[in-house]
This record gives sequence, C-alpha cells and structure tokens, in this order.
Amino acid sequence: MTDEVGPGTALLDLAGRRTPVHELLADAWRIRSVVLLLARREFVVRYRRAALGSLWAIALPLLQAVVLAILFSRIVRLHQPHFFVFVFAGMTAWGFFSATLPIGATAIVDGSQLSSKVYFPRLVLPVALVAANVYVVIVNSVILLFACLVSGIGLGPRTALLIPAVALLLALTLTLSLLLSALHVYFRDIRYLVQAGMLLLFYLTPIFYPLQLAGHLTLIDRINPVTGVVELIRAATIGADPHTTSSVIGCCAWIVGTGAVALALHSRYDRLFSDLL
Amino acid sequence: MTEPAIQLSALGKRYVQYRDTPTLVSAARGLGRRTRRGTLWAVRGVDLVVEPGLALGVIGRNGSGKSTLLQLLCGVTGPTEGRLRVRGRIAPLIAVGVGFHPELTGRENVFINGSILGLTRPEIARRFDEIVAFAEIENFIDTPVKFYSSGMFVRLGFSVAVCVDPDVLLIDEVLAVGDLGFQMKCVDRMRQARDRGATVVLVSHNLNAVRNMCDRVVVLESGRQVFDGAPAEAVSAFHRLIAENRDPEGSEMSWGGRAVGGRAAIGNVELIDADGKPTTIVASDAEVTIRLRVRALQPIERPFLGLYVGAENGTRVYSDSGYEHPMPALAAGEERECRIRFRPTLVTGTYSFQVSLADRKERSGETVQLAVGPQILAFVTGRSLASGVADLRAEFDDVSTE
Repeated sequence: MTDEVGPGTALLDLAGRRTPVHELLADAWRIRSVVLLLARREFVVRYRRAALGSLWAIALPLLQAVVLAILFSRIVRLHQPHFFVFVFAGMTAWGFFSATLPIGATAIVDGSQLSSKVYFPRLVLPVALVAANVYVVIVNSVILLFACLVSGIGLGPRTALLIPAVALLLALTLTLSLLLSALHVYFRDIRYLVQAGMLLLFYLTPIFYPLQLAGHLTLIDRINPVTGVVELIRAATIGADPHTTSSVIGCCAWIVGTGAVALALHSRYDRLFSDLL
Repeated sequence: MTEPAIQLSALGKRYVQYRDTPTLVSAARGLGRRTRRGTLWAVRGVDLVVEPGLALGVIGRNGSGKSTLLQLLCGVTGPTEGRLRVRGRIAPLIAVGVGFHPELTGRENVFINGSILGLTRPEIARRFDEIVAFAEIENFIDTPVKFYSSGMFVRLGFSVAVCVDPDVLLIDEVLAVGDLGFQMKCVDRMRQARDRGATVVLVSHNLNAVRNMCDRVVVLESGRQVFDGAPAEAVSAFHRLIAENRDPEGSEMSWGGRAVGGRAAIGNVELIDADGKPTTIVASDAEVTIRLRVRALQPIERPFLGLYVGAENGTRVYSDSGYEHPMPALAAGEERECRIRFRPTLVTGTYSFQVSLADRKERSGETVQLAVGPQILAFVTGRSLASGVADLRAEFDDVSTE
C-alpha cells in the first residue's frame, strides 16, 4: 500500500478492502528488518532468563531427536540398517515442523498487541516466527551429518540434497503457517486443531518406520506433505526410497496450493484482521 | 502547491457485531444461508482534507467513531467504503509502547519500535540519545521494560514516536499521562513537529488540550462529521450536541425541596458574557450572567431561583439559591425575566449549569420546588496550570527577602 513518493515519504492509499498480493509482499519486503528483529526478539526472549541461555536452543531439539531415535531403535526392532540415522533424518524434519507450526498458526492472534496499533502486513508475524525457529533445522542437520559420518554412511554428492530438503521444509511450514494463522483469526479452534493434528501427523509420517512398511497408512503417508521432506532428507543421507520422487512432488503441490490460498486470504483480509483481534 | 497530508473521501467503516465470535461449527452451519448478525457503521461519510503542518483535533462523545477514525488513519484497519490517503511517515500514539516486549530492555525495544515506525537501524542509532534523553530514562535504558513504571513505559513510547520525525503524528489521549513537566514537553514537541511541517491529529476528550493545540477541529457524532471548523466554535458545537442529547430529566437538584410538576415553567435560559452576547465559553475571572424567563402557571407566594453547577464527572461543584431574598409573588400566568450573575472561579473544563425555581411558603417556611430549567453546558477557560475543580487563585510568594 505504501508507495515511495520521495525520499523518506510514503503514501498510504486505501480504498476497498482488498490489498493486492504484490503490494502485500512489497510492504513485507520493505520492513524485512522488522521481520529479522521480531525473529531475533522471539529467540532472545525465549532463552533470556535461562542460565544456559541459547544452549537450550541446541540442547532441546537434540535431546528430543536423540531420545526418539534411541527409543524407537530399541523398541521397534525394524530390519532397517543405520536405524538411528534413519529415525534422526525423520526427526530433523519433524522437530522443526512440530515446533514451528503450532506457534506459526497462532502468530497473528498472539501478536495482536503489536499489530493492532501500527500497520504492517500481518503475514510478517508468522514469517518472523518461522524464521525464529530456523536454527532448529540447522542444529539438527549438523547433528544428522555428524551421525552419518560416525555411523559409517559417510557423505557424498547426495548430501547436497539436504539443501532442497531444508528449503522444502521451510516453505511447507511457512505456507501452512500463513494459511492457518489467517484462519485462526476467525476460527479460534485452529489452535487446538493444530495441536491435535500434530499428534496424529507424527504417526502418519514415516519417521520411525519406512514408507514401504506403512501398510494401511500408505495412502495417508503419501498425501501427508511432511513425507516428501522426510524422504528427501533420507535420500540425502541413508539413500533414497522408491517413493521419494512422488512424495516430493506431493509436498511441492501442497506448498503451491496452501501458498496460493494463504496469499488470497491475506490479500482479502489483511486490513480486517485487527477488527477481530 | 502542496499536496494534502490527509485526504478522506466518503470514508466509511462498518463493523459486524457478532453475538459470539464465529467458531468453525457456527461457520459450517451458516454456510449456504445468510447469518443473522448486526452491523454498525462506526464511521461513515467522512470527507476531510488536511494540509501539511496543520493540527487537527477530533472530538466527540464516547462511541462517536473517534478511535475508529484514528485506526483508519494509521492503516491498521481498512475502510469499508470510500477512500483514504495519508502522505508520509505515520507515527501513531494510539497506545504508547506499541510492540514493547516486557522481557527486552529499553534499548532493544527502541530499535524494534523504531523499525516498525519505518526507520532504518542507522537512523534509529542516530536518534537514540535524543530518544533516551527525552524519555528521561538514561539510567534504565538497559533494564527490561517489565521493570519500568507505567510512566517510564509511556514516556519511552512517546519519545520514540515523536523522535522518528513523523510526517503525520496521530495522538489519542496520551496527554493524560506522565507528570505535568513531561506533558508540557510533549506539547512543545508536538508544536515543534507541526512547525516543521508535520500534520498532527489529536483525538481527545480534553477540550482544553484540543482548543490550545489545534488549528481546526472536527466534531464526530455517531460516526458522522457534524462540525468542521475553528476550535472555539467546535467546542461550542460539541456542547450543544451534548446538551441536546442529555436525558431531559437531567440530574436531580439537591438543595432541598420537592419537585412539583405543572406549577411553573422556566424558559429562554441563556449564558451571557460581559458584552451581553450568548456564549458557551467563559473565562474563569470574568463575570457571567444566566438570563432566563420564568412563568407561573399557578400563583407563587415567594418565588426564588436556584443555581446548580456540576463538573464533567457529575460531582456538584456549587449550588446556591435566592432563598434568603425571595422575589415578589407571581400571579398565575405571570411571566418575569430574571438573571443570575456569578464568577465561574473554576479550573479549565466543561461544567453544567442548571437553574431552578422554587417557592418559599409563607407560613411553614417550607420549600417547594416548582420547575427545573435545561442544563446548559459551558467551557470555562481557567488559568493554565490550575487543576482540580475550584480555582482558589493561590499566589506563591517568597517573603523571606521582604
């Protein structure tokens, strides 16, 4: 909405309720420094009063992944070589996704103290929260690569697949957060639906079992967008599964679909969110 | 030629009044049929062009759309109809301390707040010392703001907003915060901003602040603009508006006696200044007159007038009557013109004045109230620093050198 009309001056021009998508994105880009500040604020505040500080940021996702990896490699005795790396690959994707989506989905409502007073595109709030959690993927990826080296899998050209895998993970979490955070303003049940959904999705994602062994769950597993990310991370580490390509395509379709709907919603309701906060 | 800083044309904002916030279930049930829900035009048909460098005041009763207008001006909410154009960097002071995070220090919050208001990091760094000095919190700038007193919190918020050199400064009632020294600093700062060419929009219940600060004032009523013009006239228009909308029963008279209907009437009540002209703004040190006509519907033995003065919050400021010196008897149908003269030695503010007529019975000495006049609202301009209700005109002398 705000077009530069001279040095330091901007023009706020509102008529009608829709904010065109390109203006929404241009506005968000203009205050990208705020996105970073908000992301950093989120991160700093989370660990400020803790004695170990941001060490927790590394310790918690690590602990979660390690516990699950050990637990499942002991209890669920699957004939899966390198089971720890196998589970950890799944946890790398899941750890970020499950830590981020619930807070991303409620970002607009939770940030209302900030957004009900000054205007900026509301999509900045979920974006900042997703950005604040990026460290989780980085920490987990480093540990995953380390585990590959230790377990003798080693690294190779396929390791480069980790980059598109992480990109896919970020994009998926972001578009889902954008969509759900807009819906959450109107439907406050979303907060709990997401929490319940995460609980189910954990078992419907091939994290501690390979996709081939999903049995009746195969169909759901393949519709599940997180499957594509998990499979791609596995392709980057312990090797590809026959279903990798199709699940990655499915994941991309999810991203494009939710992204398009999310932008349409934000374009339509961006300036009306504050009326319901 | 300069382009207007603010341009509103046929601006309207409609809110949907949900009896309940919609839930997934109610939305699903409502699919395919029109849901019954009320709507409310908080602002409608507002046309306004404000030149840069002008201080615009917006006054109106509670719920008249003032805050919605301000929200529209800062872009937080979009208009339902019409168009809105605001040129330049907007700094809203709608609730100061916007985006302050309690766990972060004052310094960190200044940077976040400044960025949201549209400054780059180096621009904030350049203004940082000025911001901190203005807020008077040098010693606490590296303390998390959750340990700030509410005054410190507000001062820092205000300080950031004014120090970003906004082109349009939107202010909502913040002048009521901080101590007197800080308030005066804020007023100075706003004047400076305006002199620099910034546009100031001040929404306030404080008619005195609006009158002192603004070049032009808009009165809103039920979301519509009912007056647009000079501050003094706007204050009068606002008072007329309140008077019209007052409950005709008004406030109870409380100087004794019972109200008895149908025995007398009071009419043509006017507040007159020293030049004999009707007015709604009076100076606290000048004599004013209330002129009125009384008409007896039945004979009145010893009629006398009463005066009741109320403050904005409803407290009784003063009441008195001519009980000691009643007027000559009135025959049925007789009409008489009366006046009440007094000096409103009050502090600045809006006061209500109400006249009544009573009868002092010859034999019993009993007082019977016969008629109560309409409430007249007037704005008293007192000495600038006195506050409270009554102006006792204190003088502060140092007599040690005498």
